[in-house]
Amino acid sequence: MQRYEPETLDLEDLSPEAMYELFEKHAWGDGLPLVPPTAERVEAMLAHATGDPDEVLATLLPRAGVVTRRVVAINAVLAGCPPVVFPVVLSAIRALARPEVNLRGVNATTHLVAPMLIVHGEIVGRAGFHAGVGCFGPGHRANATVGRAIRLILLHVAGARPGFGDAATHGQPAKYTYCAAENAAECPWESYPASRGLDAPSAVTVHCGEGPHNVHDAEADGDPALILDKIASSMATLGMNNAPISQGEFFIVLGPEHAQSCAARGMTRSDVSSYLYERARIPAGTFRRHFEELAWAQWMKTAPDDALLPMTAHPDHIRIVVAGGPGKHSLVVPSWGMTKSATVPVEG
Amino acid sequence: MTTAIYRPDSIPGPEVAQLAPSPSSLAGLRIAVLDNGKPNAGVVMTRIAETLAARVGAKVTLVTKKGPRGESANAAIPCAPDIFERVVKEADVVLTGAADCGSCTAYSVVDAIALEKAGKPAIVVTTTKFKPIAETLSAQFGLAEARLLVLPHPIGGTDRETLYQWGDAGVERVIGLVRKGE
Repeated sequence: MQRYEPETLDLEDLSPEAMYELFEKHAWGDGLPLVPPTAERVEAMLAHATGDPDEVLATLLPRAGVVTRRVVAINAVLAGCPPVVFPVVLSAIRALARPEVNLRGVNATTHLVAPMLIVHGEIVGRAGFHAGVGCFGPGHRANATVGRAIRLILLHVAGARPGFGDAATHGQPAKYTYCAAENAAECPWESYPASRGLDAPSAVTVHCGEGPHNVHDAEADGDPALILDKIASSMATLGMNNAPISQGEFFIVLGPEHAQSCAARGMTRSDVSSYLYERARIPAGTFRRHFEELAWAQWMKTAPDDALLPMTAHPDHIRIVVAGGPGKHSLVVPSWGMTKSATVPVEG
Repeated sequence: MTTAIYRPDSIPGPEVAQLAPSPSSLAGLRIAVLDNGKPNAGVVMTRIAETLAARVGAKVTLVTKKGPRGESANAAIPCAPDIFERVVKEADVVLTGAADCGSCTAYSVVDAIALEKAGKPAIVVTTTKFKPIAETLSAQFGLAEARLLVLPHPIGGTDRETLYQWGDAGVERVIGLVRKGE
């Protein structure tokens, strides 16, 4: 087993100003105030995990920085995480290290991609994750700090420093933090991890994509076609990476009211995916006019120009999660493209 | 009194690569162009390859996209194994790119390092605006001295005549880069 013990720095001053000065000197941090990662605080995080704190668990690209439980805990402290959320941060990092996520590309690209985290299961209530009103917005420590811890680890360990290991032309606010919980209580279907065949008390999903695109439909009066056609029209746009890359996924975050409208008409989660697959389409010739290179499934390449082609190669690439509070809104979260989402059990 | 805090970074992984040995002579060399499908990548790299071949008495033996069977390319993943094998078999020196975005720079460097490990000097064609990214990623991937040909920016969206001028002006630097491993 490989081990790594992080270095320490002796400081006379742990004030917010001194922390800013230190982090700016090393080109660390996200620009926001940081909690000093003292041994005591890091140990409090590690108390929520099992296993050797200094065991090398993975490396994160492009820098190939090594990940240990302690390295993750240090960054969780910096981000302001309450210790109870630590296993979620650790599990999300394990998910991001999986090869299908393509973290090297995710971090280096000029695209604004950021990992979206969705937390599922019993840890949602136990650790104070928020699944309801404004779940992607401010005001909830678990959501805010877990998303932020992920970004700090990408900056410090993976080397995703803007202009160097991260070439994002603009970046985006979701690169500060991007985490919400699944609203299982108001979801008319089985939980998202169960729909993926994962049986675990708690889980976390990572999807490397754009920020959420809002879809408003208050007119449907329970008619799911009107809701889903609006979602489909938000998906069928040429500027997103899903357009030229057919392996890319979409995450559709249905507000509970929209989800319940679909379920009330007998639609299952996979019916929603299939409907969107059928309706979010653009003529093949339009795609061809706009993209010299199309990273398409082979069957799509044979389509004539007037064929309406889907925005992704398979209905299963359209993933449905329920989150949020009251209101007639849902979200479309397109993919960076050459990446796959991952849902993993929350483990220490 | 001082208090210890942990550093937030960790050591980078141990991956280290070395440049392939340079060929003893450029005459008779077989040159390949490995195109990642970025707009104009093939145009500018083929021009450089042909100009270089004429200048030193080499020949361009392969111009291919990096996707499976060379039919397409995706710049955000490594070169397809069948094409990598062909390049290694059919060429002595490789031009790869274009490294004029983030993920395409990352994977142009990844491909170049794999080629260097296979004994083939590989030149990554990047641009002034992406040079810092290319240098950082080369170092992070274990080959700080990767052979980078830095052209003006941008390659995509620039007219063919200008690209040819940039390519021609880069040929002497390419010769220097091929000899870098001596």
